[in-house]
Amino acid sequence: MTTIRPFTCEDMLKFNNVNLDPLTETYGLSFYTQYLAHWPEYFQVAESPSGEIMGYIMGKAEGHGENWHGHVTALTVSPDYRRLGLAATLMNILEDVSEKKNAYFVDLFVRVSNKVAINMYKNLGYIVYRTVLEYYSGDPDEDAYDMRKACSRDVNKKSVIPLTHPVRPEDVD
Amino acid sequence: MAVRPLHNHDGGIMERRLRPIYDWLDNGNNKKAVQEAEKVLKKTPNLQAAKALKALALLRLGKSGEATTVLDALTAERPCDDTTLQAMTISYRESQQLDKVCRLYEEAVKQEPASEELHSHLFMSYVRVGDHRAQQRAAMQLYKFAPKNPYYFWAVMSIVLQAKSEPDATKKNILLSLAKKMVDNFITENKIEAEQEARLYIMILELQEDWQGVLNFLENPLYTRLVPGSMPQACMPYLKKVGQWKRLNLLCKDLLIDNPDRWDYYMSYFDSVFELINNPSEADGDGNADDTAEKCHEFICSLIESMSTGKRLRGPYLARLELWRRLSTTGDASLLGSGAALCLQYLRAFAHKPCAVPDLRAYLDALPRGEREAQCREFLTCLGFDEESQPDNMDDVQRHVSCLGCWRLAAPPPAAPACLALANTLRGHFIRCVERGPYSSTATEFCAADVYALLAAHHYYYAAQQQQSSSPLLSACALLELLLRRSPANFHAKLLLVQLYHTLGNGLAADHWFSRLDVKHVQLVSLGWLHAARLPPALAPARAAAASQLQATAHKHHAKDSVEHLTYAYKYGTFEKLVSLLSLQRRMAACAGARGGAAETAAAALLAAPAPPPPPPGADGPTTDNRDLKVIVNWQPYEQRDHTIQQRSFEQDGAYVQLKEALLQAVSTCTELADTRPAADKRGQADALRTLLARLGEHYEKCQQKYDKKEETGLSVPLPSRIIALVNSPVPYRELYVGMFTIVADLSLNQFDDAAAQCERVQRLVGRSVELLSQSLTERFSCDDPGWVMREALEDMGNYCEFIGFISYAIGLCSELLAPASQKKKKKTGQSPAELLAAAAARALNHATLASLATLDNIFELWPQYVVTSTPLIADYKCPVEERLKTGHAEMLTDIRNILKKKAKHLKTLFQ
Repeated sequence: MTTIRPFTCEDMLKFNNVNLDPLTETYGLSFYTQYLAHWPEYFQVAESPSGEIMGYIMGKAEGHGENWHGHVTALTVSPDYRRLGLAATLMNILEDVSEKKNAYFVDLFVRVSNKVAINMYKNLGYIVYRTVLEYYSGDPDEDAYDMRKACSRDVNKKSVIPLTHPVRPEDVD
Repeated sequence: MAVRPLHNHDGGIMERRLRPIYDWLDNGNNKKAVQEAEKVLKKTPNLQAAKALKALALLRLGKSGEATTVLDALTAERPCDDTTLQAMTISYRESQQLDKVCRLYEEAVKQEPASEELHSHLFMSYVRVGDHRAQQRAAMQLYKFAPKNPYYFWAVMSIVLQAKSEPDATKKNILLSLAKKMVDNFITENKIEAEQEARLYIMILELQEDWQGVLNFLENPLYTRLVPGSMPQACMPYLKKVGQWKRLNLLCKDLLIDNPDRWDYYMSYFDSVFELINNPSEADGDGNADDTAEKCHEFICSLIESMSTGKRLRGPYLARLELWRRLSTTGDASLLGSGAALCLQYLRAFAHKPCAVPDLRAYLDALPRGEREAQCREFLTCLGFDEESQPDNMDDVQRHVSCLGCWRLAAPPPAAPACLALANTLRGHFIRCVERGPYSSTATEFCAADVYALLAAHHYYYAAQQQQSSSPLLSACALLELLLRRSPANFHAKLLLVQLYHTLGNGLAADHWFSRLDVKHVQLVSLGWLHAARLPPALAPARAAAASQLQATAHKHHAKDSVEHLTYAYKYGTFEKLVSLLSLQRRMAACAGARGGAAETAAAALLAAPAPPPPPPGADGPTTDNRDLKVIVNWQPYEQRDHTIQQRSFEQDGAYVQLKEALLQAVSTCTELADTRPAADKRGQADALRTLLARLGEHYEKCQQKYDKKEETGLSVPLPSRIIALVNSPVPYRELYVGMFTIVADLSLNQFDDAAAQCERVQRLVGRSVELLSQSLTERFSCDDPGWVMREALEDMGNYCEFIGFISYAIGLCSELLAPASQKKKKKTGQSPAELLAAAAARALNHATLASLATLDNIFELWPQYVVTSTPLIADYKCPVEERLKTGHAEMLTDIRNILKKKAKHLKTLFQ
């Protein structure tokens, strides 16, 4: 039971119940406003009937040539509203936007330890394209999976042939 | 900030020369950058870009004077190459002189009137200073020789922004008509290219309140081409505006059949149904639209029935509840039966989801109180549970806690013994799950059984409140500490611990958990009320200063970055977001929390000895409330919740900040009055100070009348505003503050008799006030439960210490003003007896203040400890509550006593 609407600046002042989750990063205000200004259609929020923020997705389109793709920068759902398929709904929106933008694929990074999320993405059709070593800084640093799903433009599914070797963060374009 | 321009046009020679300077700047080695720039300038003394980069490096080195000289000289040369201008722009941006960027590019476009790039920079420079009119002019000029859509729409948007800020209705309409006409022309000429251009057009029509116009445009094939697939939803708000309820009704039904979980569609659907019920003339002849409650109910039921059995959506079920709620407010909801029954039905269907309780909240609130309370136990028992049940699998634990939660939201508030009994039972459930299962939590997921502990903590709190006792609060802390040991991701528990430790008057224990919430950036703004604002009254000045600094940094970054993002929004043509960005910019600039934090920091600085003069309060005017007060979940039934807290506490905090800002303003004026000008030159300022003090006194008195009642505390709401403790204190702060500043005013005008009399008065008040404080503390602590009164007692002490900060500063100024008199005395030259008398009186005031500092130290020496008796919750687990409280308490006492000792030492150096 959800209202899906574009994210607004004011939402940042009330997204605590989503962002206090330890794996949801809170970025500097300007990070969000930059996304809002540049890729507004990729920044959507799911709101509960009582006006609470249930979750949101934030993404962008980038890359050149056959690397032109949609990227999920953040996807998060408040603990109260998990197990409702909300993340899938939000991912669908991002994939739709990417299709409209004629992207070849959609990609995202996820902590290798975040089994719940990895499984969810797999169920949504994403594959582990490659491992990015020590992508997340922390103590210790943690590897990321770069997961991908091809869009319809990538007819031969070239974008989702997994790499056999892991890469370093500096080699990720 | 990266300095390097994205591209150069110089064929590479200049780029090669400048590269090392850029490198040093990027690495933050500004000294080397200056040296490198000077090297380049030796070879090519006229290379403007090198001068500009040198200025930037100087600025970043803190040599703003030298930087300004270079920049001013450069400006006189009227540079127009991109590299130079960009570097100068950064300098001006970093030194907050955005208007100079405008002047820079205005000159540059005069030199090169055909440069698209320069014109576009000129436009952006106006965006940064918010000069919408100049923006419009620049954009149109740009469009004239570079006829591209974005430039045209920059101009349109600039007109819209002028209209939005235009108070005169006629002028506003003219501006909007102009903007509309400009887009109309493009539509006619078929030149519209982008979705955002279409949205801007809608924005204009909305501002004109031309709802039919919006609808016509949405139905235009052009809109569908630009924004495929969104037309039906986009129409909804405007169909409402023009009252096309039947059409809206049919549209929503269509959409709901495909999307039975979209709440916004249901809301529009219900709006249309109730309009059609109330205005049958609007109703539908052929019967497709739902114009009666029965038809509406039937439609929702059909949605429920059409769901496949595998996946049950909450939407239609909640919609039925919403229909009931709306019907019940109009009088007759008999069609759907009892609301409680519907809630129960929902709970039975969705209790296994954590969202069941948040979903049901609003409907439990809407149930008639009698009915709700009478049936409350059914919420607990509807799935076969009761409070003693011990489910053995995770799904059932989730069901159990959902039922428990709804039961608590529905039940009448129990008396303290019942609260305690229930809390103990729930604690037992949690411990059983932890020890014997089922229990599972990961770094990302909480465990459903955590809710047992959270609910228990709330009930301990209710009991503590009724019994006026700290013991249940300690039980709550112990349980939540255990919870976090097992479920470290559970931020609800961390939030509760922060609030509980603050309630116990232990800011440092609260700090432990607040820091583990990893609150950053904008969250520091929305959650400042929870912790940063409570640290000063908890006598944790060092942490308070650090917290306030973080908050201020978040604001500063935003203020700086937000103007840049406005330019992005133009660059990407995202006009709707531009409006949102502007509104956030305003909201953050007027943030009440930031104002409070700044005043707090300035006041705290006065207590540090010897105190530097604090900056006068900056911003003025109305403030905005950016606090998120919904972050702590409330489990009380509707009647028990505080529905006016947001507004009320905002007003109270506002009154408090106003008072504090007036005090700081007084300090600032007093500082100026204490300089060496002759008394005759100070008359105006001294009068201004007296006026300020009169206003301060009036405001204080008003607050005393308005806020004379003690505020109830609550676990989910901010602790009582600081204005309450201040104006209800037995210490006569108004007289003390007004009196001590008046001394400075009198002395600055050489009114020695008045000053002496005033000194004596304040001296008596100081002596009396510390007695009053001491007495009130003895009364507070007479209850034999130090933990329960610790917070209030510390807040009282905090207010007094803050006063000490102010009065020591004022005495310091008196000492300066009287210094010539003292010197004369040493030299035994003639001095007026009045001067001597005033000096003696001021010295006596200083002694009285020193005496009160000694009394404060005595009070702190004998300060009561927490009494913590804890029984182990589980084997092999040492509850950290006692240790945390004791450490925090000891650290707090040491810190504050050190500060006061330093203050005393400083006061002893005065009047030497």
